[in-house]
Amino acid sequence: MTAGHGGVDPHVLARARARVLGGPSAPAADPVPPGTATAADGDRVWLFPAWPDGATPALLEEYETAPVPLDRAGQARRVLAAALRCCWTRPDDAPWPGSPAAVADVLAVYADMSRGDAGLARRWATGELRRLHDTGWLLLDEPAGIVRPGPRIALWPESSLASLRDLLHRLPQPPSRAGRDGAAGAEGDAR
Amino acid sequence: MSPTTENAAASLDDVLVGEAVLGVYRQMFAALARDSGAVVDDPELVDVAETLLAAFADAGEEGLSREQMRHVCRRYPPEVFENRLRVLKGLGAVREVFPKPNQLRYRASFTSVVGLMFVRRMMLDGGQSEMHRLLALEQLNVADPRMTPEQARDGAEGLARAFRLWSVELVTLTNGTIEELREQAPKLWGTEEILLRAERLHGAILRRWPQLDRTCTDLRAAIYAYGDASRRAAARLSDSAGTTRNLTLLPPETWRTFARTATRDELAAVLDGFVFDAAAPWHEPSAVVAAVEDAPRAAPPRPAPPRPSVPDPGLSDDTGSDTAATDRLRDIAEEILRGRDRVAVEDVLARDWAAARRILADLSSAHLHPGLPYRLVWSDGLDVRAEGSPTWVTPGWFERTGP
Repeated sequence: MTAGHGGVDPHVLARARARVLGGPSAPAADPVPPGTATAADGDRVWLFPAWPDGATPALLEEYETAPVPLDRAGQARRVLAAALRCCWTRPDDAPWPGSPAAVADVLAVYADMSRGDAGLARRWATGELRRLHDTGWLLLDEPAGIVRPGPRIALWPESSLASLRDLLHRLPQPPSRAGRDGAAGAEGDAR
Repeated sequence: MSPTTENAAASLDDVLVGEAVLGVYRQMFAALARDSGAVVDDPELVDVAETLLAAFADAGEEGLSREQMRHVCRRYPPEVFENRLRVLKGLGAVREVFPKPNQLRYRASFTSVVGLMFVRRMMLDGGQSEMHRLLALEQLNVADPRMTPEQARDGAEGLARAFRLWSVELVTLTNGTIEELREQAPKLWGTEEILLRAERLHGAILRRWPQLDRTCTDLRAAIYAYGDASRRAAARLSDSAGTTRNLTLLPPETWRTFARTATRDELAAVLDGFVFDAAAPWHEPSAVVAAVEDAPRAAPPRPAPPRPSVPDPGLSDDTGSDTAATDRLRDIAEEILRGRDRVAVEDVLARDWAAARRILADLSSAHLHPGLPYRLVWSDGLDVRAEGSPTWVTPGWFERTGP
């Protein structure tokens, strides 16, 4: 490896890979470096920075410090809510790892939630799904048309989820939920 | 006049720091100043003086000419420089090399430089390190064999006074706002050592001159009062720091100084044990909820119509079946027509006006009632009857239109 890359420091390579590919996922058998929070995902594990004292970046607001800039934050969060409505099928459990859902369902839920042209809403939502995938909030498999919660969701503290659970009850039902209910339940049990 | 007025964008923090520095100046020269306006009102004015004095030190015995002085202070606005030069000359810190008219070269006074050094030192670490120095000096004096009891008593009384004032200030701070206390927190640092030194000095005085026990009692009381006050202030400070999770326990300038002067390794050590990933926006669950609830609605919510507070009695029973009014109108019409099909209105109205207008109103009602077969037909004329009861009348007919 080092010979192939002209002797570049492997740490530098790893960091560059992490910057390009987003939060790194490592085999679950690897030792976890100190100072990281983990989100287990089958035989892989996602590494994230652990924040001191159980704080989340929402604390930045308390200090009136600007968070990472985000265009159309409201729309991104609504799409995230629509995706969770489809993926978080058992609201009493933690949202991570959730279950996979069809992208078409998420788009339909989002179109139901929003006003105006449904086709336009789907196109906006598709862009937001890709952006949420880039930042690790969702895992999007576009060729297969499947989306599932991203590992970053595992960082939500359990105590902050109550209002989100309430909200998801009130969102429109995904169109194929009725037909898929049995299958999704069986898949969840198999997990 | 102030050099900072040009760049008014200076942050509030800068203003605060400047205010703190000025506070030190004012306190130090409060005993000397003739009036409150006599001390500089901008810390940069002192920088001008320091720049000038440093240049004089470099210049040697030649001194500096006015142009050279202006050149040294070229980064300050001319009016600030002129003002400072006038004040420094007036106070004798800068004077002519030879006291004669049209003298062009100037020299600086040694005393002012020393005074400025003292000011700078007080500014850097406050009165506390000066207290350390005083205690150390006094300790040396006490050990000096030429020291007399009177001198020792004067020294001890001075120290007792200083400690008392210090503890009064601390008590005031402790009872004041927590922000002020936090800002003045450096005054609390290293109190243990000062207490130790002071007690050691007190012991030395008492051992050498037992007749000074009264003065020493005062000193001891002052020292203990100071210790109590500083402990109470520190306790209040740590109490508040525990609840607010506030990282600004140190004054902001201390953080900034650390960030500027620390080595790379020191700065990196702060983040030991952390792993960073690429910066990503954070979606708090409550933010997701807020975003969905603030979303533009599919249909604007329509307000419900207002409801009475009493229970709804249902449909009204009054469906228009009451025929009393209609019957009355029909009776009146038939009475007027008396079997005829039409009567002239002016004949009907040929009576006193009070009765006639009532009848006219009834006829109009019968005409307008959709369920009654009567109508009023008016002609276009207008008869004037000067002696009549209505003095003008439009001829018309009241007639039956159906059965």
